[in-house]
Amino acid sequence: MTLFEEMQQAIIDGKAPVVKELTEKALREGIKPADIFPNAIIPAMDEVGRRMRDCVYFIPEVLIAARAARAATDILRPLLVGDAEARSVGTVVCCTVKGDLHDIGKNIVSMMLESAGFRIIDLGADVSPEKIVEAVRENNANLVAMSALLTTTMVNMKAVIEALAAAGLRDQVKVMVGGAPVTESWARSIGADGYGKDAPAAVDLARNLAAA
Amino acid sequence: MTSRERVQLALDHKEPDHVPLDLGASAVTGMQVDTVYQLRQSLQLDPPGTPVKVTEPYQMLGEIKPDLMEALGVDVVGLGKPATMFGFRNEGWKPWTTFEGTPVLVPEGFNTEPDANGDILMYPEGDKSVPPSGRMPKGGFYFDSIVRQPPIDENNLSIQDNLEEFGPIADTDLEHFRREAKRLSTQTDKAVLANFGGTAFGDIALVPAPWLKHPKGIRDIEEWYISTVTRRDHVYKIFERQCEIGIRNLEKIFAAVGNRVTAVFVSGTDFGQQNGPFISLKSYQDLFKPFHREVNSWIHKNTKWKCFIHSCGSVRALLPDFVDAGFDIINPVQCSAAGMAPEELKKEFGDRVTFWGGGVDTQRTLPFGTPEEVRQEVCARLKIFGRSGGYVFNTTHNVQARVPAQNVLAMYETVRKCGQYPL
Repeated sequence: MTLFEEMQQAIIDGKAPVVKELTEKALREGIKPADIFPNAIIPAMDEVGRRMRDCVYFIPEVLIAARAARAATDILRPLLVGDAEARSVGTVVCCTVKGDLHDIGKNIVSMMLESAGFRIIDLGADVSPEKIVEAVRENNANLVAMSALLTTTMVNMKAVIEALAAAGLRDQVKVMVGGAPVTESWARSIGADGYGKDAPAAVDLARNLAAA
Repeated sequence: MTSRERVQLALDHKEPDHVPLDLGASAVTGMQVDTVYQLRQSLQLDPPGTPVKVTEPYQMLGEIKPDLMEALGVDVVGLGKPATMFGFRNEGWKPWTTFEGTPVLVPEGFNTEPDANGDILMYPEGDKSVPPSGRMPKGGFYFDSIVRQPPIDENNLSIQDNLEEFGPIADTDLEHFRREAKRLSTQTDKAVLANFGGTAFGDIALVPAPWLKHPKGIRDIEEWYISTVTRRDHVYKIFERQCEIGIRNLEKIFAAVGNRVTAVFVSGTDFGQQNGPFISLKSYQDLFKPFHREVNSWIHKNTKWKCFIHSCGSVRALLPDFVDAGFDIINPVQCSAAGMAPEELKKEFGDRVTFWGGGVDTQRTLPFGTPEEVRQEVCARLKIFGRSGGYVFNTTHNVQARVPAQNVLAMYETVRKCGQYPL
C-alpha cells in the first residue's frame, strides 16, 4: 500500500491519530502539501460520501471520518497559504442562517467541502445577512452555503440573497442552500443557485457551481 | 362515546365514532405559544392581550386549556413530569413577552438574561449564579441547549457522569404522578398520555441536560453521536444502567398511577433525518433495541399501557424493528421525509401500530400552504391513516410559530368534517 493509499484508508476508517502521523510522514518525505489533497484527502472523502449515499455510513461514521480528514487539513492549510500552485477549487462562506442555532448539518457539509479542497470560511450559526456579505467581500468568496433547520428561519435565506444583490456581490457568488425543511423548489423560489439534499450532494453541487 | 373510549378503540385498531385528536398531550404534539395565542384570539376564547401560559419553556409550547380542548374536540391530556427541561417547576407564574410581542406567563424559575447580541440566555433551575444552559436567538421562538462539555479524559470515563439525571424517582415526583393521574382520569373523560421520563436512551435533545447545573460526561451533540460508534461499549453500559433504574421507577410509578394512564411516552430519541436514519439499522439493533424491548416488555407484562415512540425523520428502515421491540404507537410520522409515504406506511404497518401524527406537513403545507391546501392534505391523511382505526390525529410534530391562524382553523375544521367514521 502506498502512503497515499494508507492515508485514504485511515480517513475512511476514521483514525485521526494515524492520519496525523501519516501526514507528518508525507511532509518529512518531501511530498508537497498541495499534492496530499488530490491524492489522499479528496478521494477518501469522496468514498465517505459514496458510503453515505449507499447507506453504509451514517452520521456518526461520517463525523468520525471528517474529523480524521481534519487531522490532515489542520496541518496542511497553514502550509498552503501563499502557495500559488495550491489554489483551492473555491472559497465557500458557510453558515446557519439568522435565528437558527442548529449546526450539525452545516458542520458536516463544511468539513466535507474542506476535504474536497475548498477553502472554508465557516461563520457558525445564527449569522446575519450583513456578516455574510462582509465575509464574501473580505475573502473574495465565490460560493455561499447556507443551512436552516426551522420553518421560521429558512425564510431568512432570501434576505441573504437580497443583501448580496444590494451589495453588488450577487454576480460574484453562487448561492447554495440546504437543511431539513428546504427543498429544490424553495431554493428556486428564493433565487438560490442550487439545493443540496445531503452532504455528498452539497459537495457535488459546490463542484459544479465552482466550475460553472 | 367518551374521549377515552374513542382513543382506546383507535389504539385497539377498531373504528370509533370519529378519529381521535391530540393537541398538547406531550412536548412533541403541542403548539408554540405565539400560535396558541393567535388561535385563542381567532376562536374568541379570550379578550385581546390575555396571556397564555408557557408550559414547556424549551420549545416554548403554550398551554392547551380545557376551553380550547372543548372548542377543538381534543381527546387526550398529558401527564408530564413536574420539572421542565430547564429544571424549574411549572409554578409561580409571572408575565413575560415573546419576541413576537405576545403576552405570556412563565414559571417563576424562568429567569433570563440578555447577552450582548440581544439573545436571551436561560439558566438551569433558574439559577443565574451558574453558566446558562439555553439560548434563544434574538427574534427567535425557541430555546436551544448551550452545550457545556467538560474535557473528556479517555482513560477515566465513568458511566456515572452520564447517569446523573437517572436515579430512583423522588417521593415528591411519585406523589405528583399519583395525584395528577387521579385528577385527569376522574375530572376529565380524556385518554391520558404520560411521560414519566427516564426511558429514552440517548435522546439527543436530552444529552446536553439543560436542567443540570454542571453536567459531566459526554454532553456535546457531535461527540455523543461519535461515541455511539467509537465508545460503543461505554454507551451500552450507560443504557444498561439507565434501563435498570428506569424499570425500577416504572414499578413504583405503576403502583401509584395504575391503569389510569392510556399510553406512555417511552422514547423521544430521534433516529431519522430528512433522507434516512441517523444511524445504521445494525447500530439500532445492537445498541438501542435491547433496551427498548426490555422497557416495553415490562410495560406490556405488568400494565395495560400502550408504548409510544417519537422519532422525527425518515425511519422507514427502522420501523419493523420498532414494532418488534414492542412499540404500539409511532409518532410524529414525518411523511415529508424519505420513504414515509402515508399509504405505504399504513399498508405495511397499519395492522400492528397506531400512527399518532402525520396529519399535516408542518414543514410545508401548514406554515406556507393555503387553507384549501391544508384542508385537502388533512382530509387525505385522515382517510388513509384512519382506516380500521389505529390512528390519532396530530400534526407532524408541534405546530410551529408563524403558522397562519386560518391554516390552523382550516386543519381543525377538516378534522371534524372528514374525521367521522365511516371515513
